[in-house]
Amino acid sequence: MFQTFIDHFVQWCYYSKDYAFIRDTPYGVPFVQSMHLTGIALLLGTILALNLRLLGIGFKRMSLPYLAEQLWVWTKAGMVLTIVSGIMVFLPDPTRYAHNGPFRLKMVLLCLALAYQFAVFRRVVRTDPESRSKARSVAFSALSLCLWFGVAWSGRAIAFFQ
Amino acid sequence: MSLINFLNWLQHTWWAVGIKESDFVFPLIEGSHILSLSFSVGMVMILDMRLLRISFRSQPVSLLMGQLMPWTMTGFAVMLLTGFLLFAAQAVKVYGNTFFRIKMVLMLLAGLNALYYQVRYYPKMAEWERTKTPLGVRIIAVLSLILWIGVIACGRTTAYEL
Repeated sequence: MFQTFIDHFVQWCYYSKDYAFIRDTPYGVPFVQSMHLTGIALLLGTILALNLRLLGIGFKRMSLPYLAEQLWVWTKAGMVLTIVSGIMVFLPDPTRYAHNGPFRLKMVLLCLALAYQFAVFRRVVRTDPESRSKARSVAFSALSLCLWFGVAWSGRAIAFFQ
Repeated sequence: MSLINFLNWLQHTWWAVGIKESDFVFPLIEGSHILSLSFSVGMVMILDMRLLRISFRSQPVSLLMGQLMPWTMTGFAVMLLTGFLLFAAQAVKVYGNTFFRIKMVLMLLAGLNALYYQVRYYPKMAEWERTKTPLGVRIIAVLSLILWIGVIACGRTTAYEL
């Protein structure tokens, strides 16, 4: 049933001409992909900074809750930019992505990463890492880095598994 | 030896040929090049936000800068190395690419922009870093954001055109 749903959705995207303009505009696709990469720099950059602090290897002269509070708006901005531009890459060319293995893996990892970010990681970075055991901090951080960089690497892999 | 001869020699070295022909090494280097954006440009963006007094307002610029720099430099080192390897693999073709040339100019301008900050404002940082940011510094921060986003866009478009 899920498969049929995807197929219908892809057909709907393909026949609705609304999104074709991105494909048909000269440099439309690389422009949207550049927005995607700029969003990635912001999103992964801020998440990386928080993880370096959580691991105790960087930003040691600021408290983790302060760093988290100051960076959160930029993490969110990066998420919005990456997701909106990502949808704009997908919609004009759905057949290229919908049946692509790495793309499907990317969507699963993205859902997991977002759920972890909002349900767990946000709470972890609001408390001082010194109040937890080192092992727990490393585990929270490892999961965050694996999920987000997993999303990014599977995104990169789309192009190499056509 | 002319430049074209040199580039031709470069892309026929055993390692450049190896990168170009490998199914795994090329995507790995390309992926690393893109994802180190989170270290390099991601961290530069965080500093620009502070210079524009949008985030980290209660912290002196020098404190944030000192903590960002080791990661920014690591990121740029990885980008430069992976970028050089990607260039070497297709040197003649990349050299002739207009977007690659624009990218190099933008990077040079971003470097000069940072150098101007270091020479003109960095030595006197103690005078302004806790209060109002000089107009010149804010202009430098905006230029930095524009130039680096331009570098990302030209990099993406270079790959699109090859």
